[in-house]
Amino acid sequence: MEMTYRQPYRTPAAALALLVHTLFFALLYFGVGWRSEQPQGMVVDIWDALPEAAPASVAEPAPPEPAPVEPPKPVVKEVAAPKPEPVKAEIQLKDKKKPIEKVVEVKKPVEVAKPVPPKVTETMKAEQAAKAEMERVRAERAAAEAAQAAANGRVVDEFVAKIVAKIRRNIVLPPDVPDNAKAEFDVTLLPGGSVLSTKLARSSGHVAYDSAVERAILKSQPLPLPTDVSLFKRFRDLHLGFKPVE
Amino acid sequence: MEVTQDLSFITLIGNASVLVQLVMGLLLLVSLLSWWYIFQKMFAVRLTLKQSVIFEQAFWSHDDLDVLYRNALSSRENAGSLERIFAAGFEEFTKLKRKSGMDVSAVMDGTRRAMRATYQREMDHLESHLSFLATVGSVSPYVGLFGTVWGIMNAFRGLANVGQATLAHVAPGIAEALVATAMGLFAAIPAVVAYNRYSHEIDRLSTRFESFMEEFSNVLQRQP
Repeated sequence: MEMTYRQPYRTPAAALALLVHTLFFALLYFGVGWRSEQPQGMVVDIWDALPEAAPASVAEPAPPEPAPVEPPKPVVKEVAAPKPEPVKAEIQLKDKKKPIEKVVEVKKPVEVAKPVPPKVTETMKAEQAAKAEMERVRAERAAAEAAQAAANGRVVDEFVAKIVAKIRRNIVLPPDVPDNAKAEFDVTLLPGGSVLSTKLARSSGHVAYDSAVERAILKSQPLPLPTDVSLFKRFRDLHLGFKPVE
Repeated sequence: MEVTQDLSFITLIGNASVLVQLVMGLLLLVSLLSWWYIFQKMFAVRLTLKQSVIFEQAFWSHDDLDVLYRNALSSRENAGSLERIFAAGFEEFTKLKRKSGMDVSAVMDGTRRAMRATYQREMDHLESHLSFLATVGSVSPYVGLFGTVWGIMNAFRGLANVGQATLAHVAPGIAEALVATAMGLFAAIPAVVAYNRYSHEIDRLSTRFESFMEEFSNVLQRQP
């Protein structure tokens, strides 16, 4: 007696099997990222305000046209939203300034923002305010750079003094050296503070003193250097002068 | 040998050698099939269990076996295994009973044989594809391992041509090869679990069918 078996669950079973595999591979593909590369550090600049004035000042003589390209940053779009009255636009801009502050931007946002064309209803007042803002940001940047340079200079001076002091401690003074004898050396350093070469730039006139200074320089290795590696280039070639009495 | 930086899943599979890719494809196919059977078995076992419970309730609450037999015949396509065993037994019993001159034990023997035949057929149907699951469970790790060994061999052969051997030269190859083992295990583990589970459930069902057959024989023997 032959029996026929109904198998109504074939198709659902196949669908479920496919679903299981799809889920598993989706999990593997999206959930697991085996990557051997290190994540790249991102350099950011902290800006008080977005430099939206840059395109306006560049394209100032051109008559305002409808923007064909959508501006990349939503903040800019909000500022440039159609405003019928100029006075209101200014108020709007002032209001917007608060949230714009401390926007973290990828470096060189000025170049990024340049292709943005001028907006239809940007008033002269808004432009001027934005330009003033831009000037202020530039000035602040320049000031910050100057301060940084000054700080670097201080560090360099400090470490040159440390180097000279260390060498001076190692000088064994020969007898009968006149007080005004001054030996000048060109010292070339390696990163890490070891001395690559020393060259007598100007003799003190007292040969024993010259060689005593040279020995002291070599004995003082490694010379103290700042931990900031970027400053090393200012220590690569040093010109140092030594007198028996300072 | 190129040192890949990106070890994402797709690149791992894409960069593997042809044989390893074949092994992976085979394992994927086997895994799909075994999951198909797993779900089929799941539905089948569940359905059979449900139908058995319903039929046993009906059997013990009805005194009239003729009604049950007619029900079983009318719903032959939808009948459960237990219902079919009952129908085969009852049919044989009535046929033998009509023939005069047969003693009770001969009638009961014939009925039992008829029921046992149907029972064997039902069990065969329930157990179909279970052996496939067992085979997948035991073999697919080896197949995956074979792919892995082959891939690692290739990775080390590539290393022989490189003057300065670093871990970075072999690591991607080994990672590629290990995907094959992972896929073998992925196919094997559910198959083993499903095999154990379903063979146990089918065992229980068969015990149930056998005890029903004994009880039904007793009921028939009491029939006038």
